[in-house]
Amino acid sequence: MAEKQTTKTTYQIPIGPIHPALKEPVMFEFEIDGERIIDVDVQLGHVHRAIEWTGMRRNPIQIIYLAERICGICSFVHPFAFVRAVENACDIEVPERANYLRVVHGELERIASHMLWAGVAAHEIGFDSVLYLTWEMREKVLDLTEILTGNRVTKAILTIGGIRRDITEDLKPKIAETMKYLKDNYKHLAHVYLDDKTFKLRSQNCGILTYEDALKLCAVGPTTRASGVKKDVRVDQPYAAYSDFDMDYMTPDKLTGEVNGDVYDRIITRLLEVKQSIELIEQAVDQLPAGDLVSEPKIPKLLNYIKKTAGEGIGRDEAPRGEVIHYVKFDGEHEEPYTWKVRASTYNNILPWIPMLKGEQIADIPIVAASTDPCMSCTNRVTVIDQNKRYMLDKEQLHKLSVQKTRRLMK
Amino acid sequence: MGFSMLGPVFKQMFKKPWTNKFPAKYQPNNTTKYLADVAAGKAKINPPVPTPEGFRGKIQYDKEKCIGCKLCMKVCPCGAIEFKEKEKKIKIYLARCCFCSQCNDVCPTKCLSMGDEFLLAGADPYEKDLVVE
Amino acid sequence: MSKNKTPEEIVKYFKEEFKTKIKSAEIKKRTTGSKKKEFVNIWIRIDKSIFKPFVKHLCDLTFPHLAVVSGTDLGKTIELNYHFSIYFGQNLKEISLNMGVEIPKSKPEIETVCDLIPGALITEREKQEMLGVKVIGIPDSRRLFLPDDFPDDVYPWRKDEKGLEKYIKNLHQGAKK
Repeated sequence: MAEKQTTKTTYQIPIGPIHPALKEPVMFEFEIDGERIIDVDVQLGHVHRAIEWTGMRRNPIQIIYLAERICGICSFVHPFAFVRAVENACDIEVPERANYLRVVHGELERIASHMLWAGVAAHEIGFDSVLYLTWEMREKVLDLTEILTGNRVTKAILTIGGIRRDITEDLKPKIAETMKYLKDNYKHLAHVYLDDKTFKLRSQNCGILTYEDALKLCAVGPTTRASGVKKDVRVDQPYAAYSDFDMDYMTPDKLTGEVNGDVYDRIITRLLEVKQSIELIEQAVDQLPAGDLVSEPKIPKLLNYIKKTAGEGIGRDEAPRGEVIHYVKFDGEHEEPYTWKVRASTYNNILPWIPMLKGEQIADIPIVAASTDPCMSCTNRVTVIDQNKRYMLDKEQLHKLSVQKTRRLMK
Repeated sequence: MGFSMLGPVFKQMFKKPWTNKFPAKYQPNNTTKYLADVAAGKAKINPPVPTPEGFRGKIQYDKEKCIGCKLCMKVCPCGAIEFKEKEKKIKIYLARCCFCSQCNDVCPTKCLSMGDEFLLAGADPYEKDLVVE
Repeated sequence: MSKNKTPEEIVKYFKEEFKTKIKSAEIKKRTTGSKKKEFVNIWIRIDKSIFKPFVKHLCDLTFPHLAVVSGTDLGKTIELNYHFSIYFGQNLKEISLNMGVEIPKSKPEIETVCDLIPGALITEREKQEMLGVKVIGIPDSRRLFLPDDFPDDVYPWRKDEKGLEKYIKNLHQGAKK
């Protein structure tokens, strides 16, 4: 193979993270012995945009829009965690109706994100028709988001102390229609992912993360739930209106009865979560209580109140990828926060790549890396080292290798 | 290989695609000539999909109602609003605007609203179409 | 697995062991939802000398989940806040424990917790490069987010002379007419 010949020579070709051919800025540099990987190294920092430093110079209303643009797919959870941190630091109450509406938008975003991930995972294996199927379903969800918030991706719907737009009676039939479409197609989607032998061949017993490793490395989100650890901020700690609903941790033993911690289990976990989200949205829209949307509608008064209060607070939230936490500290003299710390969920999910990739073949790297659903804004470089030979392989070649392995297995 | 997908793939051959053919069905050979034809009335552009109500498009400014309180400048996350000292009115640079509509919420006289225009690309950030005053 | 302790019992558990070295402990409770379920945040500030024993004592109680370490520049000292959460896995019973430790700027050093909680590696590396805190015993001390050619003595989160003020270009004059 061409890759083997490159290892015999001693120069490296680094194809950097910013390259017109790569879809995600992920760079792999590794040395191989045969096809097995022995050790992994992780490097980060290509899309570091100094967001926290910028945020410490703006007032809280402006920071909401800055936080929204940290990531395109998690564009609801970052402002949500920030707003919760400010509300906890300054003791601002949130009305009931706003809490229920926040649940609806959060779950809608979770469905859109899991659909996107499902398509990307199928594409990594080489199963492109499923990519088109899932992204077609995602289009309906994005249309609903546009009707409810005015835009498909950056929603601009949160404010400190509540929410900006209401779901009126004439919008409820549209929500019901989209949920019905999703429920009708969900069965076929589950059948393709769980029963089709292409997925089973590639993903079972591949990229295993054990229960102890997931606990010790503080992994979050579906990555850790697929290994059997029960961690979900929505069920652990009451926030917004989640404590009013009957929810449980989605671990793979709900469907298959056993927990392996491989890529197949992560597919199961995400599909179960999509089903849970559809049910949550329907329940929240049915039980919407009457009330205000915002606790303090006059913004200058709100900013003045924040200026005079000193305090610190944290806001935790369950993004589609895991736990997101923001920490805010006000000093009582300025409107701008004294400190703002953001921790997106992919940061904790990078260390688990090390035990997952050891012992795997190169062609499995795309599907294992994609199975933890890395958010493209928290990008990284993964260096995989094995013995003494080093070279770099870019994402296109890896993708080709992965597709070739599928064709080989199908024969 | 994917017998589960054979059904939908087969059905797809008979279904109409969702794509709206905006602006034309096929790419014209000469784009500038095509646009000149449209201006002269000889060719037509397919309209885009209509936007839903509440869509956040180009900002619309009612100059009469503005009182010059500068609250919109305080909350704009992008710094897209400039104050004209002599007239006590504002000037909005669309090249910087992020369409969040926070200025709409803050304005005490409700002189700002979001329209539904979204085809706003331009080459010069100071051109007339991209400055609202 | 023993029964969960209430927030007051947890504070007492630490105060009995460390007595005066705990500078302050505060329990904040807030409710949410129409069923008015409450969630608890505990804020404890400790002295630097009992930092490692405190974390070990917490691991003996129950293995915590370390979310992140946030750092604040307070003038003469740097305060590091470790955000733990315990009792996850049981419905609606999780408690957030936030531990703050102050270290002087003249000698900004702190021990690592990577031997007790391996998942703390990434957040400790970030503190090293953003605030200039030296973490003793860290297994891997390379830069995390900043590029390798970033100047050595500049720490972006600091508000004093070692911060970023020299590097800012103000674009406002150029953007508007």
